[in-house]
Amino acid sequence: MAVKYVLKLYVTGETPRSQTVLKNLKEILDEDYKGVYSLKVIDVIKQPQLAEDDKILATPTLIKILPPPVARIIGDLSDREKVLLGLDFVAIR
Amino acid sequence: MQSKTKKGAVEKAFTGINGFDGILMGGVPKGRATLISGETGTGKTVILNEFIYRGITRFKENGVYVTFEEDERDIIKNVMGFGWNYASLIAQKKLAFVDAGAFQDVTVESGQNYDLSPLVERIKYAIKKVKAKRLVIDGLDNLFSRFQNKDAVRQTLYRIIAELKDLRVTVLMTAEKSGPEQALSRYGVEEFVADGVIELSLIKGQQQFLRRMFVIKLRGTCFRSGIVEFEITDHGLVVYPKIPIEKVAAKTDFQVRKRFGIKGLDDILGGGIPQGHMILFSGNTGTGKTMFGMHFLKQGIDDGENGVFVALEEPVEQVKKTALAHGWDFNRYEKEGSISFVSTNLIDISNDRLLYQIITAVESINAKRIVIDSVSTFLSETMSEEQVRQFLIQLSGYFKANGVTCIMNHIFPLSFAAERGQLLSSLSTTHMRLSSLTDGIVMLLFVERGQKVKKLINVLKLRGSNHSKEILSYEIEKGGIKMGVKYEE
Repeated sequence: MAVKYVLKLYVTGETPRSQTVLKNLKEILDEDYKGVYSLKVIDVIKQPQLAEDDKILATPTLIKILPPPVARIIGDLSDREKVLLGLDFVAIR
Repeated sequence: MQSKTKKGAVEKAFTGINGFDGILMGGVPKGRATLISGETGTGKTVILNEFIYRGITRFKENGVYVTFEEDERDIIKNVMGFGWNYASLIAQKKLAFVDAGAFQDVTVESGQNYDLSPLVERIKYAIKKVKAKRLVIDGLDNLFSRFQNKDAVRQTLYRIIAELKDLRVTVLMTAEKSGPEQALSRYGVEEFVADGVIELSLIKGQQQFLRRMFVIKLRGTCFRSGIVEFEITDHGLVVYPKIPIEKVAAKTDFQVRKRFGIKGLDDILGGGIPQGHMILFSGNTGTGKTMFGMHFLKQGIDDGENGVFVALEEPVEQVKKTALAHGWDFNRYEKEGSISFVSTNLIDISNDRLLYQIITAVESINAKRIVIDSVSTFLSETMSEEQVRQFLIQLSGYFKANGVTCIMNHIFPLSFAAERGQLLSSLSTTHMRLSSLTDGIVMLLFVERGQKVKKLINVLKLRGSNHSKEILSYEIEKGGIKMGVKYEE
C-alpha cells in the first residue's frame, strides 16, 4: 500500500511527555493507518531551524503535511477523537 | 554599549532613540525586560523597531525580532518608510526574526498536556545565530487567544523572560491595553516579568493626536518622572524630555540691565530689565505688546545680543513685515544669525515640543533675549492651566540659569473699563497664576478720555529693584513706540 499520510511530530527533548505522545500516536496509527503513513519525529532542541521553518510554538505538535490541507494537532494526543478529526480533516469547498 | 552607572548598580543600554534616553537617564535596564504598554496605534511597535535598528547600526548590538502580530515581510516593508533596511541587516546576519504570527493551518488541540517550549528554543536559537544583544517581542498577549491552556502560556512567558535574563540580552516588549483606564496588559503577565514599564497614550487635540509617554517604573535605576510628549517622524521617534528645573538662578543680575532703547521706558524700569528676569507685558489687543517685544530684540542686536522671537499670535512673515514697516530688517537679522523665530501649530500646542523648540532656538544662536508673543495662546485643548504653569516654570528656570532675559506678552482683556481715578481697578493677572512666576509686570491699558483713546503704561512690579510707580502715556508711531508724559487725571 502506498503512503498516504505524511506526518511530522515535534517534541522538546526526550522527556516522559515526549514518550507519552509517541506512544499515544503509535497506537492510533497502528490501529487505523497501518502501512499508509510516514512519520518523522523532530526534537526542537536538536533542530530549532526546522521548528522555525514550520513555525512551531507548542510541543507536542503533530503536523499532517499530506493529504492537504495541512493540519496541526497540539497536545499529548490523549484525545483520540480530536486526533482523528485533525488527520482526516477535509477542506470544505 | 552601556551608559555610565555606579558599580554594582543596574546598568543601562542606550536605546539610541532621540530624547528617549534622556527621560530614561541613559536607557533601558541592560540585560532585563522593559514593557511598552499602550492602546492600539500609540506607537509601541515603532519603539521596538527603532530600538532594534539603532542597536544594530549605532551600537553594533545585533537584534532578534519576535513577532506575534504582523509577519516578517510586512514588518520589513513597514520600516522601509523610516529608511531602515532590514533585508540587508538580515543578509548580514545582524538581525533575525522569530515569526510567531498566526498561521492559516487547521489547528486542533488533543489534550491539555503541552507547553510552549519550542518558542523558547526558537528565540534562543535566533539569539545564538546573530549573537544578539537586543531582543524585542511584539504582541506576546496574542498567545492567550491562540491556546486553550492559559497556564501553559503563562508559564511559558515567565520562562522566556527568565531564560533571556540568563542570556544577558536587553528586552523590549509590548502589551496591548484594551482601554485608557484598563490594566497595563490584558493578562497581567508582562508587567510582572518586566523590570521597566513605559506607558504610551494618545490625547485627542482639535486637529491631531498628541502622543504622550510616561515611565511608570525602571527598577533599580533613576529616570525623569512626568508625562512627556513624543512624535513619530519619518526618521523615527522624537521624544521631548522635560527640562530639569534649575534650582539655582545662577545668571540673574540686577546690576546688568537690558534696555529697550525706548526713551523714557528704560528710565521707569530703572535702566532696563534685570538680566535673567522674566517680565510679563499685560494688555489688551492693540496696546502694542508685540511692538515692545520687537524693540527689545532690536535694541539687543544693537547691543550685541542675539534674540529669539516666539511667534504664537501671528505668522512669522507678518511679524517681519510689521518690523520692516518700522525700519527694522528682521529678515536680515535672521540671515545673519542674530535673530531666530519659533512658531508652532496654534491649535494643538504640544508643550514639550514647544519647550524643546524654544531652547534649541536659544542655544543655536546663543540668544540672550527672548520674546514670547503671547502666553495667552497656550491655553488650549491640549494645554491646561496647570500645564501652562509647569511650562513657564521650566522655561523661566532655564532662562535664569542661562542669563536669558525674557519678555512674555499676555492678553489682558480689559479695555475702556477704567473709571476715573481707578485705572487699574480690576486686575486679574493671577487668573493664570502668572504673577508669582514672573519677576515683573508691565501693564498696558486703554483709557478713554476727552473722546480719545489713550494708551497708558505702568510698571506694576519689578522684583528686587526700584522702578517708577508713575503711569505714563505712550503712542505707537512709525519708527516705534514714543513715550509721552506722566498721565494725570
